[in-house]
Amino acid sequence: MIIKYSVVVSPSLKANQRQVTTTMPESTKMKKPDVKIVILGDMNVGKTSLLHRYTERKFKDTISTVGGAFFLKQWGPYNISIWDTAGREQFHGLGSMYCRGAAAVILTYDVTNWQSLAELEDRFLSLTDTASTDCIFAIVGNKADLTDPHAQAATSGGGQADAELGGVQTQPLPACPTPPASPLLNKQVSKEDAMALYGRVLRYKGLEEKTSPPAEKMCFETSAKTGYNVDMLFETLFDMVLPSILKKRREGENSTVDLEESRGSKRTKAGCCA
Amino acid sequence: MERGNQENGIREEVKTDEPSSLKCTDQTVSKELTRTISSENHINSEDDDALVDENGMKASQERPLEPQTKDSTADNHLETEAPSDGRKEEETVDLPALSSVDSAGAHSLSISEDTTDSIHDDSGEFVVTMLARAKLEEQGMGVKGTSSPLLETGTAVGNPAHQDEDVTTERWRQHRKHVFVLSEAGKPIYSRYGSEEALSSTMGVMMALVSFVQSGDNIIRSVYSDEHTVVFMQRGPLVLVSVSSSRQSEQQLRTELLYVYNQIVSMLTQASIARIFEHKKNYDLRRLLAGSEKILDGLLNLVDSDPSFLLSAVHCLPLASSLRDSLSQILQKAITPNLVFSILIAKNQLLTIVQEKMVIDDARLDPSDLHLLLNLIGASSAFQAGEIWTPICLPNFNPDCYFYAYISYLDPPECTVCLLLLSTDKEAFYAVAECKRKIEEAMQSQNSLTAIAKAQSYSVSQVGVSDLRHFMYKPFDVPDNYRQLTQFTSPEMEAPYCSEEEKMRLLDLYRDMHSRIHSSSRPLKLIYHVAERETLLAWVTSKFELYTCFSPLVTKASAINAITKLLRWIKKEEDRLFIRYPPKYSTTPNPSKSSRGGKGGADHTDSTDNGVLPLL
Repeated sequence: MIIKYSVVVSPSLKANQRQVTTTMPESTKMKKPDVKIVILGDMNVGKTSLLHRYTERKFKDTISTVGGAFFLKQWGPYNISIWDTAGREQFHGLGSMYCRGAAAVILTYDVTNWQSLAELEDRFLSLTDTASTDCIFAIVGNKADLTDPHAQAATSGGGQADAELGGVQTQPLPACPTPPASPLLNKQVSKEDAMALYGRVLRYKGLEEKTSPPAEKMCFETSAKTGYNVDMLFETLFDMVLPSILKKRREGENSTVDLEESRGSKRTKAGCCA
Repeated sequence: MERGNQENGIREEVKTDEPSSLKCTDQTVSKELTRTISSENHINSEDDDALVDENGMKASQERPLEPQTKDSTADNHLETEAPSDGRKEEETVDLPALSSVDSAGAHSLSISEDTTDSIHDDSGEFVVTMLARAKLEEQGMGVKGTSSPLLETGTAVGNPAHQDEDVTTERWRQHRKHVFVLSEAGKPIYSRYGSEEALSSTMGVMMALVSFVQSGDNIIRSVYSDEHTVVFMQRGPLVLVSVSSSRQSEQQLRTELLYVYNQIVSMLTQASIARIFEHKKNYDLRRLLAGSEKILDGLLNLVDSDPSFLLSAVHCLPLASSLRDSLSQILQKAITPNLVFSILIAKNQLLTIVQEKMVIDDARLDPSDLHLLLNLIGASSAFQAGEIWTPICLPNFNPDCYFYAYISYLDPPECTVCLLLLSTDKEAFYAVAECKRKIEEAMQSQNSLTAIAKAQSYSVSQVGVSDLRHFMYKPFDVPDNYRQLTQFTSPEMEAPYCSEEEKMRLLDLYRDMHSRIHSSSRPLKLIYHVAERETLLAWVTSKFELYTCFSPLVTKASAINAITKLLRWIKKEEDRLFIRYPPKYSTTPNPSKSSRGGKGGADHTDSTDNGVLPLL
């Protein structure tokens, strides 16, 4: 009980707190995650592929994720832990555990599937109750290459692997969208829908729209297949969680962590989730 | 039907069983459950080491197996079938019927609905649905908040591959082994080939058969035709059907269906499956299994190609005992509260397994549970960089509770050495991940990975017996030792069993021998089988079960001689081929405490006795 209590009180310190309390001899060698990001969304929207595109710089067929997969991403001097969760209902019960203390949540849907957006609100939003109180939300519409010609060319997320390919294709991009290689599918979710959802997420979390990042900045359309916007998504989020990393590092310097202070030092909010 | 008639020649008292098929026995399902714990039976049987008389061969007298072995694992499953004893009805139906009965689908469905009691007026069903939803949500399992019919079809898509197969084609019909899973209401849950939707009427007919026989207070077990064997198995609210042209025995097919059932249970737990259908008879279980089809597909492929499943035993990678011991010690040292099993796997074979002390007292890890775990790991290997944390139920250990499995590869990017840590604490991820770091460090300092990389399966030529082409040897527990993990050893399949077809042919021969050794009506102790392209000898004693394959020109005397040599060789290599004494560790004096009583937000406490938290 004590364990859980401490976790709830100081969400952003979760990982370390748990280790201190559960395993006595804490290994100093483990790279401590500075901050936690969770990817949520219905099955088959491309959560694993997004992460895979970002970390491995390539797109390959994945199979349905089992439970959740934990990744540690080295970002400059910081260690960012990313939880790639299973979208299947079967694993729903674990969602809140993955989200505990998260500094950012990526809510992922499939732009060709309206239901996948609806699921975010129905099924996944409540899982974020255990996330950090100043958690940042991003709404991400994946598979944009299926509906948008300009997303079919690898632009940002392709990295080196796609550089040559992307370089050639990106040049005529804004002016003349070359006839798409594959017929475009009907886009079921517009960016406005996603932004509306973002507003509802903020309301659900009791966050003020004025003090939270604007919807335009936090709604993305990506393509894990071509790499479109993928780097942008992750880099933007990393930049935004940087303050909580720094805050946590500062706190980490004091060997004794004052839980009350860590909570008090957080941004004050009008309301707070239950 | 090549089985009965081929073993001309030397046949001593070895009886071929009756023209096989259509000889149905009264042994209930408990039969193949006793198969999974067959070691028991053999231990109990009188010692007959003097089996080889001067004549070489002697088949033992028939000794019907006790149908009810006292074993907790068997009990678990038996209770569902409890009312099923007595006479079993068997029907012979011309099989092509299965594919041509589509028109009867609607009719059959109504039959099945009749048998499932109640819930047919809408209001009632609505209430039940709401109840179910409330209950499930309360237990932390998500049920989609919006109306379901659309969703159910929506979630079903998304698994291409075999699911696209046209079920009306001849090609579909000619698959060697079909496996179907359906609910008591006749709803399709899984089909090995083709999409479940396209097969809903076929599955309806299956359910009609089950219900029809049930209405006469009987249980349908199997249907035989010239080409196919159809085996039915009901487990709680699920009905599993195998349609096979593989010539396997009914018992073997039934064991395979049990594996399928257990794999489903490993993902959902028996308790939650029962609960779901209790509340809503016509629930579409595919909603919960969506995405898991590949795991079931993988399991069925393994069942066909890996003899571990046939023997219900685990295959270890041969390893110098000193190396295996040092690996075990590394695992033994990296522990955390609520950790119960630490398992190291390389090349899909077991390297070592360490268990929590308290756990081993009341139960052990059943080989079939380990098979399910290995299959899960194989199926999730597509994305190997991360550290997986997932709930998993071990059906033979406790069908109603979850363990939490930590899965991580130790040698990226090759990903051949896999660490599997099982905890009872849902929240223990970071603690368990810390154990992995310790294990990683220790293995690095001892250079274990290089040593493991050198380990490989062996060639039959190392035995030094000419004419011996292949064998499978499964020792039974030493009676006065505590019950160990059942293991077997087997060399690589080499020429002439190189191609997939030839490998399968040899396995089929083994399966045939196995089915006759374990025939419920006429179990045999020894079979000497001269086939066209090889000679096989299968032998069961109280100490071991052995299947050997010789070149076709071997004589009986030299085969006996070879087996003597083989047994001597195995004895000599024992320490390398098997995990002799699975080590133990003790995590905390009171492991069940800390996983209980947590009250964090959406968490739910369990109702179980051993601290294993259920997910639902």
